[in-house]
Amino acid sequence: MTNFAAGIFHGPESALAAAGTLKGAGYTTPELMSPVPIEGVEEVLGEKKSVIKTFTLMGGILGGTFGFLLAAGTAVLYLHPTGGRPIITIPPFLIITYEMTILFGILFTVLGFFISARLPVIRERVYLPESAVDKFVVTVACADDEHFKRAEAILRDAGAEQVREVTEEA
Amino acid sequence: MPEAKELQYADIHRDVVRSIVETGPKYYITLGTAIFVTLLCFFFPWFYQLYYGIGAAGLNHPQVWGTYLASFIFWIGLSHSGTLLSCVLHLTNSSWRKAMYRSAEAMTLFSLVVAFTFVMVHLGRPWFIHWSLPYPNQMEMWPNFRSPLLFDVMAITTYLTGSAIFIYMGSIPDFAAVRDRTIGWRNTMYTLLSLGWRGTDREWHRLHWAYTFLAVLIIPLAVSVHSIVSWDFALSIVPALHQTIFAPYFVVGAIYSGTAGIVTVMFILRKYMDFGQYITKVHFDNLGKLLLVLSLIWTYINMVELFTGWYSGASTEHEALQYKLFGYYAPLYWEMILFCAVAPLLCISKRFRTSFVPMLILSIAVNIGMYTERFLIVGTSLSRQYLPDAWGLYVPSLVELSIILGSFALFSTFFLIFVKIFPSVSMYEVKETMSTPKTEPEAPPEGNPA
Amino acid sequence: MSILDRIADGWRKYRKPGYYDEFDYHWGMTVDLDRCTGCEACVTACQSENNLPIVGEKAFAEGREVKWIRIERYWEGEFPDVKLRFIPMLCQHCDSAPCETVCPVSATYHNQDGLNTQVYNRCIGTRSCAVYCPYEVRYFNFYDHHWDSPLDQQLNPDVTVREKGVMEKCTFCIQRIRQAKDVAKDDGRRRVRDGEVQPACVQTCPTQALVFGDRKDPESQVSKLMNNPRTYRVLDELNTDSSVVYLKKVEDDHA
Repeated sequence: MTNFAAGIFHGPESALAAAGTLKGAGYTTPELMSPVPIEGVEEVLGEKKSVIKTFTLMGGILGGTFGFLLAAGTAVLYLHPTGGRPIITIPPFLIITYEMTILFGILFTVLGFFISARLPVIRERVYLPESAVDKFVVTVACADDEHFKRAEAILRDAGAEQVREVTEEA
Repeated sequence: MPEAKELQYADIHRDVVRSIVETGPKYYITLGTAIFVTLLCFFFPWFYQLYYGIGAAGLNHPQVWGTYLASFIFWIGLSHSGTLLSCVLHLTNSSWRKAMYRSAEAMTLFSLVVAFTFVMVHLGRPWFIHWSLPYPNQMEMWPNFRSPLLFDVMAITTYLTGSAIFIYMGSIPDFAAVRDRTIGWRNTMYTLLSLGWRGTDREWHRLHWAYTFLAVLIIPLAVSVHSIVSWDFALSIVPALHQTIFAPYFVVGAIYSGTAGIVTVMFILRKYMDFGQYITKVHFDNLGKLLLVLSLIWTYINMVELFTGWYSGASTEHEALQYKLFGYYAPLYWEMILFCAVAPLLCISKRFRTSFVPMLILSIAVNIGMYTERFLIVGTSLSRQYLPDAWGLYVPSLVELSIILGSFALFSTFFLIFVKIFPSVSMYEVKETMSTPKTEPEAPPEGNPA
Repeated sequence: MSILDRIADGWRKYRKPGYYDEFDYHWGMTVDLDRCTGCEACVTACQSENNLPIVGEKAFAEGREVKWIRIERYWEGEFPDVKLRFIPMLCQHCDSAPCETVCPVSATYHNQDGLNTQVYNRCIGTRSCAVYCPYEVRYFNFYDHHWDSPLDQQLNPDVTVREKGVMEKCTFCIQRIRQAKDVAKDDGRRRVRDGEVQPACVQTCPTQALVFGDRKDPESQVSKLMNNPRTYRVLDELNTDSSVVYLKKVEDDHA
């Protein structure tokens, strides 16, 4: 069980400022929940790196290999001479390769997204429905009451409309 | 919130959720009609054709393709603007995309589904369509990967998967937003669809990158799909089909008819879903400019096609050309020129572009013209092939015409169901285009939305 | 032999376009237009041999007849100075057949006898092969055909009756080739003798305008005829490399 302090803000700038202060005060990296992507998060909370592009690349390479092997391999498995062409015909098989590169690239990108964004989840997590409409929420994990009080003060200073204590089942 | 104020985040939220949960009798009547027409005009004639054989259509030798293939290309073409345009505009950061892209992408998806049903309708034995898929089987048979039709299978499968994933990925945050505002079965559905999205900075960051990569992958895919469709024709040796220009010709034609389709859909959404505040003159203005450019490119390629055919000096090419311009189907040809090459020139005028009804009429005219184009590609070329003994005419039968009509009803059915499940205007992206709420609630934002 | 060598070997083998050199036979036909009278006996013979449907007047008018071999008629000149020309047109069994490459399910392919075959059971009816064929000799079953009694008694048991939605075309009477090969095997011969097998059209032709045989056998009648200076192929410029060769009509200019 973890307790969280959740500050509700009216605008992204103050929420971002609060998150920065919290981070500076030694809290674990706070999370920002917002209805729209906020610009400048990386400057405050540190640069983000995702594995998605690696996934896309790997998917593309894998798909391309698979595509060519699919076309050439099946052609060799069951010989069907057509139109006087050789059994392994390069230009048509390159088209299959191309399509499979893209298909696998797309599927792996989605996989990469799910893994790196930690979706989908089944358990309940800290969430304030307001953040999907027009509020900006900063949440930060607090070990005990003292931590919570300090976090609340920081959030209020930064201009939070409201600060709530939210509990997340482990 | 007073009406006089600028649009706020909450307003968008309210409007979009309302468009999903509040359903009037008008909607049910429209949906009921669409389903009825689909059953009556699409499925009934199709089942009749399955029972009776392809002879139910007006097809004959040598015209073995006819309107079914023309409709297939038409629907694939119509699918070519939504996702493609959305991807291009996403990568170029055009903010006017944001209010319309969701429904444009849905158009892509459903056009593809309808195009697929036309493959089924077209086939002589559709119950064996799975034989064109590569899967291990007891016959140890594999499809023929040298076939342009199999390129089609692969390309369309990929495109359908890609555009379904693209529209879904873009909707995850909106599903989450709707989830919190709904109850009952809708809540369960959106909870499942939103996958536990919370809108954290991490999730936004990942979504942005995944979405961008998908856009980068889908643009070359969309171009390849219609090139491949054109190769169904261009890789044959039929005069007037065996043309190198066919791939770019089809791609441009597809984007052209797709853009016109978007104009039609935007008009309907604006009119009947009360999205007047989000889909504005700006969108029609921009789409009109796009239509103008595309129509010019399309006209140019048409002229090149005629010129190279004429210049070749081959008797078969000349015959095909002559037949196209002055033969049995010539009135259709000139109708196409009027609708697709001449009429869109009206878009030069800004007043025309920003008036809704004329744009609607133009968009429908363009798509009629583009359907004609597809029909002519199949129709005129196949009736004038090499051996004069095998020349022949073809007129679509009632079954075919009914199925064409029914396909539009099928598309409408899909779309009507879509607007009640998907937030048809992307909430978070429209919000992005607006000024963010200020820290002080009492100071209303000064910025101009969109 | 290491696995890499085997792959390299396979690659070389399967990349060779001249795959057809290894065929057992290479069936071909010559059509002597000097002998053809346009009597259409071949059309009738084909009809009864291959269970071609009798489509009826309505379907015929709609252009849905099935004629694996047809006599094309071309008129030349203006009345009264007209000439009538015939060209029997059947599947040319092209070695570079455009129809074969387009079939997504490999329902049509080149078999080991150099024949362009159509596998009815595999066909899904995309009809693309009919479009891709420049000779227009592929016929589609627009309906399920039926034979009124007692016509059903005359169906050839060696040939399938095709169902609706399937493409069909001339097979060079593959059932007869099959049988001739079986007989040759039973007799302990390695190959079928020249003239031992004839498609129905060749057998019926009263003027012997059609000649059928193995093009691989230099002594066969068809191979000899193919060296005739009158030979030409229909639509040779399309490089279909067809197996049916036509012999030009000899004409007297003053006729």
